[in-house]
Amino acid sequence: MDDLYLDNIDEFVNDQNKIVTYKWLSLTLGVHVNTAKQMLYHYLQQKRNESSGTPLHATYLVSGKCVENGSTYHKVSVVREDKLDAVKAKMDVTISVHVYSVQRAELKDSSPLYSTDYDAVKENLKNCNKYSAIRCAAAVPLSSSELQRAQETALVPPVEKEISKPGFNENTSATSKPSAKQPAGIMGMFASKNASKSQESSKEVKTEQKEDSSLVETSKSKTASKANPMSNFFGKSAQKKADEKPNKSIKEEMDSSSTASATASLKQSQTSSKSETDVKEEQSKVSKALKVESKDTRSKTKRPEVVDSDDEKMESQQKKRRRIVVPDSPPVPNVHTPSPKKQVKREPVSHQEESSEVKRRKRRRVLRSNTFVDEDGAFVTEKGYVSESYSESEEEPESNSQAKDSSSLKQSFGKREEEKKEKSQKKTSAAKKPTKQPSIMGFFQKK
Amino acid sequence: MATLTRQDLNFGQVVADILCEFLEVAIHLILYVREIYPSGIFQKRKKYNVPVQMSCHPELNQYIQDTLHCVKPLIQKNEAEKVVMVIMDKEHHPVERFVFEISQPPLLSISSETLLSHVEQLLRAMILKISVCDAVLDNNPPGCTFTLLVHTREAATRNMEKVQVIKDFPWIVADEQEVHMEEAKLIPLKTMTSDILKVSHSQLFCTESQKLNEIL
Repeated sequence: MDDLYLDNIDEFVNDQNKIVTYKWLSLTLGVHVNTAKQMLYHYLQQKRNESSGTPLHATYLVSGKCVENGSTYHKVSVVREDKLDAVKAKMDVTISVHVYSVQRAELKDSSPLYSTDYDAVKENLKNCNKYSAIRCAAAVPLSSSELQRAQETALVPPVEKEISKPGFNENTSATSKPSAKQPAGIMGMFASKNASKSQESSKEVKTEQKEDSSLVETSKSKTASKANPMSNFFGKSAQKKADEKPNKSIKEEMDSSSTASATASLKQSQTSSKSETDVKEEQSKVSKALKVESKDTRSKTKRPEVVDSDDEKMESQQKKRRRIVVPDSPPVPNVHTPSPKKQVKREPVSHQEESSEVKRRKRRRVLRSNTFVDEDGAFVTEKGYVSESYSESEEEPESNSQAKDSSSLKQSFGKREEEKKEKSQKKTSAAKKPTKQPSIMGFFQKK
Repeated sequence: MATLTRQDLNFGQVVADILCEFLEVAIHLILYVREIYPSGIFQKRKKYNVPVQMSCHPELNQYIQDTLHCVKPLIQKNEAEKVVMVIMDKEHHPVERFVFEISQPPLLSISSETLLSHVEQLLRAMILKISVCDAVLDNNPPGCTFTLLVHTREAATRNMEKVQVIKDFPWIVADEQEVHMEEAKLIPLKTMTSDILKVSHSQLFCTESQKLNEIL
């Protein structure tokens, strides 16, 4: 009876070629999440010991404290097995490690992990926290009248930053705003995991980690339990500037945070929050912010908006990159690929710069790059950025170097020099006549 | 929501739109997963409420969009039998083929919004399947390219050659070399049948060249 689950997992992984995350497993088999984690671990051990058949890949969830730039972070990340040791070594204290998923395929990025859980959670929306380790007695669904009131008051602008944190996290687990679901769902998942992990330290997967973490637990039992709501606030990682600050905010937001990560509906978290109206104000604002986030997935770190919740946005974006340590690989130019591919690699650099430039100086037009084939059959990528800006003098040398970059990849030399000359002419003419704004794309389209 | 039947002008368009959108996402995802292009050109976007990888390269995107734009009228008239994405090595021998079989059941009607979300769910499952397909497939040799083929029923292609849907984007009859694969292995990946909506019956399977595997 106890080993039946091993056969089940085997069927899911090998026969159906599914990705089995512990959350999906718990919802499918109807077991507590910690049981699901252990099941996956045992299955993995068994298969590895057999050392036969198809290779299995696993991902792990690691959470711990690490110090970066002088401040301590509580970091939660999903890592591939081959990077597990490296990530653990980076952390000062590893609080918990457990199996996140088991699959046959070697995943290139984390999107399938999210997709696997999406449908399972959606189906069990009302009781998706049934098997979770997070509980709050005050979390009950709102009645329709209360819901209406909540929606009316949600239009008032936000007040405090600390209030924004639970609001932010409540939104992360809410499904009422589907556009915010993409970053939100993942963060909500991790928030719930984190809390459950620290509470059940004795059930951890890695034996050596068990000793460490149990020591950590006893000495830091208080801070850990407070750290969990904090990390719930941020979902991915919490920044603890001072211990007093988290304590204060934790006390007043304790209820709301634990419900937030556990429940899937916005309504539930609202009831438990004491500062109800403030929370709602924050939520609407933060939901908008999240919508913007999910739309602008490109611009990662350079977002200098000065509004309240943007600190978290920036953090979360930064954390987002840090959190998923392995699967997203930055664009690395490979010297030996042929020229069309070289051109392809230039694109992400220019696009990232483009999006960051758009955010920073709004009066400038968007960097546009036009790709075409010139007479010699070489791929040419021109950046229209050059001639469109006239107010910032520093842009010209910058764009000059960019232009040189793109042109250096071209194979036809004669063309290159010609185009450079024309471009510099364009630039000077643009500088002299700011009102005219000639478009470099227009020039090349004539061909 | 009003009931749309086959006779409605919009119905065929809706079906074709859904399908072409899905094909575009699927093609981009296959390019990413099979590493045809370096992963740097891809960017995470959202489709059907899940993250997917889409390419940012303008030429590539334009090519895929133009292809699907031409395929759309065929789907509307139910003349497209399958859309095949062939991955070829440096010598233009096909290494892998991802085949999307499309068929429309005779009685079709959309009666409510929930059915579209059901279709969305099925398509989401299909995308997930593509993401894990490399478990059953071997790695491709470096320097692969891809091409898109459309198999049509009857003589639809003749009309296509006469009337260019998009200027300067001609369709040519595919070489026998590209269409046929020696000693191919068939791996069914996912079938999606939407019983209520019955928009399409897509069968995605991939055939690998066994001979190539032996060489490698």
